[in-house]
Amino acid sequence: MANEQVLTVPGRYKEIKRICEFIAAGAAQAGFDDDTIFHLELCCDEASTNIIEHAYGEEGAGNIVISYALSDDDFTIVLRDNGTAFNPDAVPPPPSVTGDELTSDELTDQLRIGGLGLHFIRNLMDEVRFTSDRLSGTPLIMIKRLGTRQ
Amino acid sequence: MSVWQENLPQSNTWLVSVDGRLDQSLNPKLEDTLNDLLGKERYHIIVDLTQTTYINSGGLRCLVSAWRQAKANGGTLVLCGLNTRLQEIFSMVGFDKLFEIHDDCTAARKQARSRTPL
Repeated sequence: MANEQVLTVPGRYKEIKRICEFIAAGAAQAGFDDDTIFHLELCCDEASTNIIEHAYGEEGAGNIVISYALSDDDFTIVLRDNGTAFNPDAVPPPPSVTGDELTSDELTDQLRIGGLGLHFIRNLMDEVRFTSDRLSGTPLIMIKRLGTRQ
Repeated sequence: MSVWQENLPQSNTWLVSVDGRLDQSLNPKLEDTLNDLLGKERYHIIVDLTQTTYINSGGLRCLVSAWRQAKANGGTLVLCGLNTRLQEIFSMVGFDKLFEIHDDCTAARKQARSRTPL
């Protein structure tokens, strides 16, 4: 990838802010507006939290490698870890987010909080790909089209 | 970045204010503060997010958990002062329908005083 920038941090919650700042700086250079940069930060926050909580199962169990690259059309973010492979298809979207007809009690009953982070990633990025590669870790690829810049 | 609580004068409502980013660094502080209030059977709570610049799913989880406990005990957890980005996050997952949300925290305090007088 052209212009790729890479950051490696320990898989700890306090490092997530560094990851967000790293991505925000790259996204600002790419010309994204502040709202889109906020969305990219949130997606990287959620993805990093999932790595710590689900791939590694705890803090300090491995590194998170995050990179971004700018092409003519896309801003591509890749997060890698060496933890347990994660199957996002096993995580359903929160079922009631479009359920306008639900009462608050029904909404509460149906909320599955654990899927919220993935829901944000799926909704705020233009393309999301999960792959499993034992040699290079488990990459999560998140793409934002440059056409969404203002 | 901080979270603090205060009792609204002449009422049984407690105000929790969050200053900073509700991420994995600050979420535990908010969770501790809300659990402290709920543990003392203080079930009428306003969370002032006027100075909150960011929230992730962990922050949402923390607020929903407290809302459920307050509601289960006949109380309420009201939010106020959300900026447009936070409003977008709440509406993206339907939480704008779950919570009572006030744009104006002064109005939320006033309503709380009349709802839970001493």
